[in-house]
Amino acid sequence: MTTIHLNNLVKRFGTFTALKEMELEVRDGEFMALLGPSGCGKSTTMNMIAGMENPSQGRILFDGKDMNGVAMGRRGVGFVFQNYAIFTHMSVYDNLAYGLKVRGVAAAETHRRVLAMADFLQLTPFLKQPSAKLSVNILQRLAIGRSAIVEPAIFLLDEPLSNVDAAFRAVMRTELKHLQRQFRQTMVYVTHDQLEAMTMADRIAVMDHGVLQQVGTPLQVYDDPINLFVADFIGAPGMNRLKGTLAQADRGLLIDLGPLGVSAPLLADVAEGARRAGVTEVIYGFRPERVSLADQGGIPMQVTIVERIGARTIVHLGRGEVAVKAVLDNNVGLSAGVVVHVVVEPDAVRLFDAASGVAIRPATPKVR
Amino acid sequence: MSAVATEKKLPIAASETSDTAPEARRLGLLLTLPAQVLVLFIALFPLLMQLYISMTDWSPLDGVGWWQAWQSWNSFANYTDLAVDGRFWSALGRTALIMAICVPVEFLLGLGLAILFIDDFVGKRLFYSIMLIPMMVVPAVAGYMFFMLFQSGGPINNILSTLTGTPITLAWLSSPTTALIAVMVADIWQWTPLMFLILLAGLVGVPEDQMRAATLLGASWAQRFRTIVLPKMKTIIIIALAIRVIENFKIFDTLYIMTGGGPGVATETISVYIYKVTQQDLIWGYVAAIALAILLVLSILVAFAIGRMNAARKERVA
Repeated sequence: MTTIHLNNLVKRFGTFTALKEMELEVRDGEFMALLGPSGCGKSTTMNMIAGMENPSQGRILFDGKDMNGVAMGRRGVGFVFQNYAIFTHMSVYDNLAYGLKVRGVAAAETHRRVLAMADFLQLTPFLKQPSAKLSVNILQRLAIGRSAIVEPAIFLLDEPLSNVDAAFRAVMRTELKHLQRQFRQTMVYVTHDQLEAMTMADRIAVMDHGVLQQVGTPLQVYDDPINLFVADFIGAPGMNRLKGTLAQADRGLLIDLGPLGVSAPLLADVAEGARRAGVTEVIYGFRPERVSLADQGGIPMQVTIVERIGARTIVHLGRGEVAVKAVLDNNVGLSAGVVVHVVVEPDAVRLFDAASGVAIRPATPKVR
Repeated sequence: MSAVATEKKLPIAASETSDTAPEARRLGLLLTLPAQVLVLFIALFPLLMQLYISMTDWSPLDGVGWWQAWQSWNSFANYTDLAVDGRFWSALGRTALIMAICVPVEFLLGLGLAILFIDDFVGKRLFYSIMLIPMMVVPAVAGYMFFMLFQSGGPINNILSTLTGTPITLAWLSSPTTALIAVMVADIWQWTPLMFLILLAGLVGVPEDQMRAATLLGASWAQRFRTIVLPKMKTIIIIALAIRVIENFKIFDTLYIMTGGGPGVATETISVYIYKVTQQDLIWGYVAAIALAILLVLSILVAFAIGRMNAARKERVA
């Protein structure tokens, strides 16, 4: 049970800066996901927390204690590797007992704790088995158990589900979340899969190119992405975006979408926010689920593809620069070529500065 | 109805398979015949020839071909002679002594070097190439090199004189103990690189993430080495040791050039002994008997090593 504080953390490899001035607090018992595409610095951050790499600058604090110079075996960090790094030449029992044995815990105590951990993780039937031939979900439990048995204050998980096939991933996600609830440990989870982050994390830290973009609960980063990168990266499909110019009309402030016509008037606080930001060139963004298709009154666009994914139907509209997606019920009777009007729910509209990609905040931020 | 049909069909199917099985076996034999003939000529034929000659007193000076060696048939006399041949037993013991010292030293040096070469450092590639030079030197050349190094006025004595501050003019190769040390130094110099190469390959194969996992669980370097590295390298260590034990047992060229087995018989190993009996005494029937005995000893060693290796592999796979 530990708070992790990353203070102005920087990591450079030669001239390449992998991580730029990271500032992050992971609260006690929190499940924090570090989310980003490969090369965003999330694994580097994780390795530094574990002590596998030293920061070029900045500090890592566990409960206020500087971890700089503390060897990786002495930080009280449990680490679950991408491929679990199970000791394949040992039995399940020996894997579980490893951490206790190397710490010189008495044999009887070790035995007791291994049995308790095996019982807790439902590994008892496998104890005597060699670990080389276990299935992935047992390996995952074993990897977690092996780390947990030495009672680390912090758990770090490095993309533990990336080697698992899609169908099984959902099962593993649930199991992992369940385990975290039981252990009540501070967990940092590195992933490039936004779905994993959304479903499991208490909070998500979205990273890109070594820069921390946004930290927030899954719904915060989903609903109010701080910039276009986060808007794109979170959600599948990502947020729709159309280029536009702020325009004043009788009905209020709206967005001139060029050939697509104009948008519906912005909500008062969004308009006020846009006015205060003082930008004119904007990106008009909205989530694909927050639209409806109508015969008139919205943005007229041509249907290009109707994609049926089972539970929902994704309708692709427009082409190239001016393309949006709408996630709709399966009963939309559409086919390619038809022109429909895209009606965006007024409170779903998110504006971004076209030049910087930064979100334009409403005048009175929503309280969530 | 259907039951009857299957019953009728079954014998036909069975006869078909029993017809094709010997045919397939014959084809298999035909296809592997060239390889089998090759093995026969390379391994089996000389072995049988050796066994045959070992039961005679045949010598190339007899004036008859080896196939007529039966003329001097003595059944097991060579073997009974061998059992009481003091020079043979002392040569065997000496060979075992050299092996018992050289192989562990080469192993430990090779392992130590391999561990150093796991991490990156400046000039690693250069040192790596330099490390392999001894292995590439022709053993006869290496023998002559060490012959000169160990002369009483040679570089080794010079270095020792400088280090100790007292003039040393030890005639290394002329005294039984120091001559033995000298030939062992030469062997270690030449064959440590092979150990290094094999063990480095093994070390590189130890999964890094498992090592890290062990570190994160609090294992010290020594603990990681004992619990992760050694078990993972078990097979390769056995291979490396087996190769060196077999090779070292046959130690000859370097040693022969350095000391010729001398002074006296102080450095006479089994190979040197066989060579002398072959070239000087020319009793080839006796030589064949010695060689066969050695083969037996080595086979037992190898069988032991292979057994251990399989056990290690099974342990890891199971």
